[in-house]
Amino acid sequence: MVLDVTAKNLDEKDAEKQVLFNAQKKWWEIGKDLNGRMRYGAWQIKEIVDLTLQPMETQKEQFLMHFDTDIENVEFDVKLYYYISGKKGDVIYQETKQVEYEID
Amino acid sequence: MKSMSLAIILLLPLLFLPLGGEGQCAEQKLANSIDELAKMFDESKCLECHEEAHEQWSGSWHSKAVISSLGGMHNYIAIGLAKEWKTPLTKAQVMKCLDCHAPTVRYASEELAVEIGKMIVTAHKKKGTKAGDAAKKELARLNVGCLSCHNIKANAVAVGLNGPPKPGMIYGPEGEDADDAHPTEESLDMTRASFCMQCHGKYKAPDGDIIQCNTLSGSYQNAYIAKGGSKTCQDCHMKNGHTFPGGHDLDTVKEGLGMQVEIIPYRQLPGTLKKKVKEEKTWIPSAVVTVFIENKTGHRVPDG
Repeated sequence: MVLDVTAKNLDEKDAEKQVLFNAQKKWWEIGKDLNGRMRYGAWQIKEIVDLTLQPMETQKEQFLMHFDTDIENVEFDVKLYYYISGKKGDVIYQETKQVEYEID
Repeated sequence: MKSMSLAIILLLPLLFLPLGGEGQCAEQKLANSIDELAKMFDESKCLECHEEAHEQWSGSWHSKAVISSLGGMHNYIAIGLAKEWKTPLTKAQVMKCLDCHAPTVRYASEELAVEIGKMIVTAHKKKGTKAGDAAKKELARLNVGCLSCHNIKANAVAVGLNGPPKPGMIYGPEGEDADDAHPTEESLDMTRASFCMQCHGKYKAPDGDIIQCNTLSGSYQNAYIAKGGSKTCQDCHMKNGHTFPGGHDLDTVKEGLGMQVEIIPYRQLPGTLKKKVKEEKTWIPSAVVTVFIENKTGHRVPDG
């Protein structure tokens, strides 16, 4: 499961330069064998380093971001992906907000 | 005493007779081919009365429990057994996968079980070829079917108390009278999380080996129940009958998770950052994004 937070400069036309901020938080399980090596196969996993989101818990993630002084219009995009396998991720929740900053 | 012994001798063979006809028998004899196995556990008769449940099941991952997991099982056989453990492929080894993915294979002969193991390797390794597709087609006949839960695994949670599954018996949560269709026996175990935990958790093979495809049951017991949770697996994953939705179903995933976002734009005081900005004496556009992710399920997320 991946939480992806992006801030984009809406006044920038070049897609590559648009991204002002991007951060991800990942929840996943790591299996390890008796020698402490990371393992993936069910027959190899003997313990788990548990980095998942625990039941009946709410986890708070906070992202602080600063932009350059000429940035005026920013779009914030927050997505929660669920990966059923390492390759296939689906957006479960998305929230987007546009903000206009006052320039001095 | 003599008459009791005589009665036992006379009645004992009945234990090995199918009680519900060919369609529902879990005979003690071992099948030598998938055809034989399919005949022993012919579930087509279930469909006659339980059409809705069968249709739901047909779309579930239980109905494709072997062919949807070919990669993992191939790796276990071709890498785990063959390369890492240098252990021959036997029925006992194959059952470490198939006791959950296709419980009927419990009633396969040693030769058939090994053959099925080889077919798993072929189906995955030669995917897209004639041989690979033929193997996959045959393997598609193996799954977690009606009798896997309603007979083979029904008593396994407390087999010491309940005894082994009776051939031909259909176990269900209510034990409703099925008239002449089949004998039915109530199995409250089937309504409990521990029933699902036989497979959706650590699996301990008869030789003591632990197979950890996922740890849902551990998380359920130690992190959910321990915190006061009281729902069972069935409460959430069987509320739509035999479809058993889980991680593959986005609506179910969405139901199990919550996301709340707070985006607070603000302007940072000039000169308070190490970061270089174009105008050092002007306010810096900034924001705090706070996200709350809630796990509403009865187990850790993600898990298998």
